[in-house]
Amino acid sequence: MMRNGRLFSWSDSVVRGCTIALALLTVGCLLIGFVWLPSVHEDFTVDGLWASLCRAAGVPAQWASPSDDRGQSTSVILTRSMADPGTQAAVGRGATLALNCTMCHGAKGISASDAPNLAGQYSEVIIKQMQDFRQGHRVNPVMQAIAGSLSATDVRDLAAYYAYLPKARVAPTTYDEALPSLVRVGDPLRNIAPCISCHGGVDQKLGAPWLEGMPKRYLVTQLNAFIGGTRHNDAGAQMRNMVRWMTEKEVEEVAEFYARKAGTGEVAQRVDGGGSLSR
Amino acid sequence: MFVAKRLVFWHFWVAFAAFFGAILLGEWQMFVRSPLSAWINNPEHYYRSVTAHGTVMAYVLPTLVAMGFGYAITELALKRPLIGLRWAWAGFWLVIAGTAVAAITVALGKASVLYTFYPPMIASSFYYIGVVLVVVGSWIWVALMSINLRAWRKVNPGATVPLAMYGNVAGAYLWAWTSVGAAVEILVLILPASLGLTDTINAGLARVLFSWTLHAIVYFWLMPAYIAFYTIVPRAIGGRLYSDTMGRVAFALFLVFSMPIGIHHLFADPQVGAGFKFVHAAMTAMVTVPTLLTVFTIVASVEIAGRLRGGKGLFGWIRALPWENPMMLAVTFAFIMLGLGGAGGIINMSYQLNETIHNTQWVTGHFHLIFAGAIVIMYFMVAYDIWPQLTGCAPLPARVLRTQLWLWFIGMLILTLPWHWVGILGMPRRMAYYDYSHPALQPQAWTVIASTFGGLLLVISAALFIYVLAVSRKTDSAPAPYTFSETVHAPASTPLALNTFGLWVAMMIALTVINYGYPIVQLAMLEDARVPVIPLGVR
Repeated sequence: MMRNGRLFSWSDSVVRGCTIALALLTVGCLLIGFVWLPSVHEDFTVDGLWASLCRAAGVPAQWASPSDDRGQSTSVILTRSMADPGTQAAVGRGATLALNCTMCHGAKGISASDAPNLAGQYSEVIIKQMQDFRQGHRVNPVMQAIAGSLSATDVRDLAAYYAYLPKARVAPTTYDEALPSLVRVGDPLRNIAPCISCHGGVDQKLGAPWLEGMPKRYLVTQLNAFIGGTRHNDAGAQMRNMVRWMTEKEVEEVAEFYARKAGTGEVAQRVDGGGSLSR
Repeated sequence: MFVAKRLVFWHFWVAFAAFFGAILLGEWQMFVRSPLSAWINNPEHYYRSVTAHGTVMAYVLPTLVAMGFGYAITELALKRPLIGLRWAWAGFWLVIAGTAVAAITVALGKASVLYTFYPPMIASSFYYIGVVLVVVGSWIWVALMSINLRAWRKVNPGATVPLAMYGNVAGAYLWAWTSVGAAVEILVLILPASLGLTDTINAGLARVLFSWTLHAIVYFWLMPAYIAFYTIVPRAIGGRLYSDTMGRVAFALFLVFSMPIGIHHLFADPQVGAGFKFVHAAMTAMVTVPTLLTVFTIVASVEIAGRLRGGKGLFGWIRALPWENPMMLAVTFAFIMLGLGGAGGIINMSYQLNETIHNTQWVTGHFHLIFAGAIVIMYFMVAYDIWPQLTGCAPLPARVLRTQLWLWFIGMLILTLPWHWVGILGMPRRMAYYDYSHPALQPQAWTVIASTFGGLLLVISAALFIYVLAVSRKTDSAPAPYTFSETVHAPASTPLALNTFGLWVAMMIALTVINYGYPIVQLAMLEDARVPVIPLGVR
């Protein structure tokens, strides 16, 4: 039989003892964690006790003024809605605006020069790159001048138009033993992830362009620009970290692989559902 | 047993069938990333497998075992028919439906986010809905455990709750509170993002909420094993429980200290303050107390068995123990694995030492040794012990059981000790392949081969376990009435606090508020903490 009585009675020695012990333990831990340990670290205590307590509690410190974007690789925040297919009106308006782009990017978004093909490119990719050009995060004298004259709506409509066009590739890359090893499995010891884990094949991540059929010289130039750091509009240095340790030969090989998958732009229409992320 | 026989039987069968499927996936993972196999064709398949393995082993297996064992204890310890049988079946079917929905989504490659979710990665909504269904099914069990205990108290006013039921309900309350973290994370943060209602997610807050569940869930897994230590082992080996009170203290301490410690999983997370990290680390050390109390009490109980069998002297009782008894073997193996894993865990929980092994194979080694080793081996024993009650079969063949246990023990050590070793050398976890041709990694290649063979022994052991249960046949004679351990000295009186849960639940909630309140509120109010979601496998 158990002893009778009320559970939360202070006269119960178990309740009293346990509560006091737990309170002492908790207060002791808090004092050590928030007062004593920070007190031996200069970076915690430099602004006094209250600041030190706040730091230990994890109150975010202001590192830079919100308007200061020096050193920031991009100010574009990729969201799923950027990948939504445009309305017919947006596509039509984009088609008109795109007349301005045909000189380099081709009449149907397939470049005859070494500018990137835009036909079928995911809309969020185009939006991000255009905004980066506008804000100077990606540097190219021609594109910066053009992007500067476009409004945010213009950019969205252009992206909707190009996303609507059929892709300039033979077929999407799928997993295949014959793929070059960097494309297929990357190189774990150099921290190089497989191309196909973001650019299509295993997964197609938001903001990562499709690459098949792109002009080889364009791909090589961009990879080298990432390696050299002259292109740095990849958030979190994603691409710079991937390519940093790639050799010249590997850059050639990967670019060659993707460039050779060029098609007429008529074959692969809408194979992958137009790239929308809505379910 | 009265009315819950079929219920318990099916809980166990589904749990172990899922377990067997998941262990095959685990072994396949070990094989494809070992030097015995070429690099896996598509790393996505590896992560799909890891997600399925983790989801089944962490959510489905222990939840169903705890539920089934809980229903069995309710009838066997309280000696009354289970109240709410229909609700219990409803909970069971929810768990099954949730498992099926989650498993299909994972198999389709729409949810390779691992069982820990890792937002801002976002999987198909069906995966999360499946997990939620499993948890909701288990909440029905929590309610039933509470209702049954209350009904029993009504007809036995003032009586001491049997220890097995006390531990069982402690486990249920612990689970009810600990599952709130992940449930809030899924319902408030992840599902809206997954359903496309929001494009951003507060990833830091999501991680803090998951840590609320992530560590205490371990003690929910552990409860059935500890109940078996206290209330089955001493009886099964012919001894007496050294102290009933010690058992209650251990269960109560688990209730209090399991919860406010999860941030030790976030030592490398910048969004949580160092002060809170220290407090969580210090309180993590407190859970060693109920574990050490248990080890002491159970070893003392085992010594009683040895002395009752004529063992003399300081160590003579050890030789006199019934080593041919599978339960004796299992508790020994469980304690060895608990000891090794627990010692490793002290490194994990230490703010500074953790840095040396953070996100390495060491961590995988640690939780396999504790959960898959010490705890699951006791799940086996619970099933073996209770099977005659469920099916009317004769006691299961001891020789086969011993073989199965030896295989599990040796397999688990061969699997996990190399993981610990290479973890110290810095081998990262969750890699689909390693480049063994590289001179820096080549010396570590043998360890992955060793673990693959360790895993093979575990597969054989698991198959043997399933086989033994499957071939047991009903006999004509009814099984002997089921009993729990008797204490060496029946306690004259049990303090009220140790016969109820109010004090410990209040302490659990108070400590959660102190240790989690500020980090959660602070992160929830931080606008900048929201990051764009990364949908997986959608195009």
